Amino acid sequence: MKITKIALALLLCISIISCSSDDEEDLTGQTGSLTLKFDNGVGAQDFIFGTSYNKSNNESFKLTTLKYIISNIRVKDSKGNIFTYPTANNVFIVDEANGNTAGEILITLDDVDAADYVEITFGIGIDQSRFLLGAAGQGDFLAEAQAAGMMWSWATGYRFMRFDGTYTNATVTDGALNVHMGSVGTSLDNYKEVTLTFPNSVRVRETASPEIHIEADIAKVFDGETSVNFSDGYNQVHTSATTTPVIANNMKGIFEVHHVHNN
Amino acid sequence: MKKILIIVIFSPFIFLSCSKNDAEVYIPKPLNFDMPSNFPDIVYNLDNNPLTEAGFELGKKLFYDGKLSANNAIPCAFCHEQAFAFTHHGHTLSHGVNGGIGLRNSQPIQNLAFQKDFMWDGAASHLDFQPIIPITSDLEMGETLSNVIEKLKADSYYQKQFGLAFEDGEINAANMLKALSQFMVMMVSSNSKYDKYVRNEDNVTLSQIERDGLNTFQNKCASCHATDLFSDQSYRNNGLSINPRLNDKGRFGVLENPEDLYKFKVPSLRNVEVSFPYMHDGRFATLEAVLDFYDSGMTDNGNVDASLKREDNSFGISLSAYEKESVIAFLKTLTDNEFLNDKRFSEF
Repeated sequence: MKITKIALALLLCISIISCSSDDEEDLTGQTGSLTLKFDNGVGAQDFIFGTSYNKSNNESFKLTTLKYIISNIRVKDSKGNIFTYPTANNVFIVDEANGNTAGEILITLDDVDAADYVEITFGIGIDQSRFLLGAAGQGDFLAEAQAAGMMWSWATGYRFMRFDGTYTNATVTDGALNVHMGSVGTSLDNYKEVTLTFPNSVRVRETASPEIHIEADIAKVFDGETSVNFSDGYNQVHTSATTTPVIANNMKGIFEVHHVHNN
Repeated sequence: MKKILIIVIFSPFIFLSCSKNDAEVYIPKPLNFDMPSNFPDIVYNLDNNPLTEAGFELGKKLFYDGKLSANNAIPCAFCHEQAFAFTHHGHTLSHGVNGGIGLRNSQPIQNLAFQKDFMWDGAASHLDFQPIIPITSDLEMGETLSNVIEKLKADSYYQKQFGLAFEDGEINAANMLKALSQFMVMMVSSNSKYDKYVRNEDNVTLSQIERDGLNTFQNKCASCHATDLFSDQSYRNNGLSINPRLNDKGRFGVLENPEDLYKFKVPSLRNVEVSFPYMHDGRFATLEAVLDFYDSGMTDNGNVDASLKREDNSFGISLSAYEKESVIAFLKTLTDNEFLNDKRFSEF
């Protein structure tokens, strides 16, 4: 009898100890939502349609369309675990025209595993494995991309970006500017991925929906890893094996996590 | 003995399977070609290439298939998007394999069954032969016909579909071109607001400004943009300044006749609202820019069409601000949304 009492007391002690020793919360099975806020800018200026922006080589540009495709978003937590958003829905069009009044375009990911995340990786455009699923394997995104003008024909594939507008330089005033970089079928792969670390951890919980504010510096599309000139043919970028990889590389460098909100 | 027995047991199955195949022999389903009552006579000879469902489907598949190009990624549809009356949306000049840039603005694919010849300079005199030009051009699809045929022969869809579409069932260039023609012949745009108005259908009426525009159009534009195809199918020099980067001599390049210098085919104006930019090199982005050009932008390049000469010997078509506005209002009645959204012609 006594022994049983002691045993019970001991058990109680152990359970209390084990509870108190676990000061980290148990996040198993818990999910929350995570929002990415894309904010396009040109250097230190916010991007505004129809505004003229200067670039190198005494050239300037004005845009009427600004959109690009983001896909394969995944986040890594402080323990090194990677959460990948479900592939079928892991593809988005960031369209400046759909921005809020502050010019921010929001992508909200639901059912993200609760964790403290430290970095994010995403792709710019469509990778070859998604393209090789064929037109029938694209789900709703095919119609969405078509409606948004983000597709050539299926054989050619997706336009990863659409910068449409005009450019001006010493010899041309308001010439047509159309930068539509993408992969070209399976013959040219321009899909790129970027990884950005967060300045502080992003806490996804059932009750907390953090936001990641990502700034995209459009100026770097033309003056990034490589500086390109409209006068050298970069006013029209479509399927060329010479110009599209340069733009794809520059696109890789335009993103930066400015700050995160944990709430 | 055993062997014989086996043969006897299985023979009914062999016969059965044979007769089943016989029952599956495909009977071509003819496709009806509807003649719009306000159109001139059809030019394409359908007797030489009877339209069938299987032939049309094959032509559509080819139209959207990158295999027709050197890098397997530039199909016809790359430069001919349905939503823009099968033109290359917004492009002055079109882009092909290896980043090549074509020399001219891609033209709409519509009502081709009614055209005598094709391309801006009339280089193709039969619809069946037109696709050879873009397929083999280094600047466009960069392929050879024989190589395209090799690729099609290796594809199970084409192995089956050529058999359904053509009596001889052969995968060859002639049948491929016939199938593409069947698809293109069916692409008729004849149900715009204007069409319904002239055919007295569905009680469609034009507004005051649209009727004013039609009136001005008939007085000042319809001698070249004639009939309800809105082209007399002639080649004319309309006084565009010469772009030195292209130095495109137009129809001259076909026959090298000096009288053809800088002449281009009078384009149809159907769906002109969505087929921007305009002119053979796509130099004008808007209809306003086009009418401003006709009013006051022409240059005398030495061979301008006589019909564009004013009484004071200058070139141009004088248009008031209201005339321009109303002509544009009228031109927008030529937009045929049924055609632009017709599922029969769309990729998906």
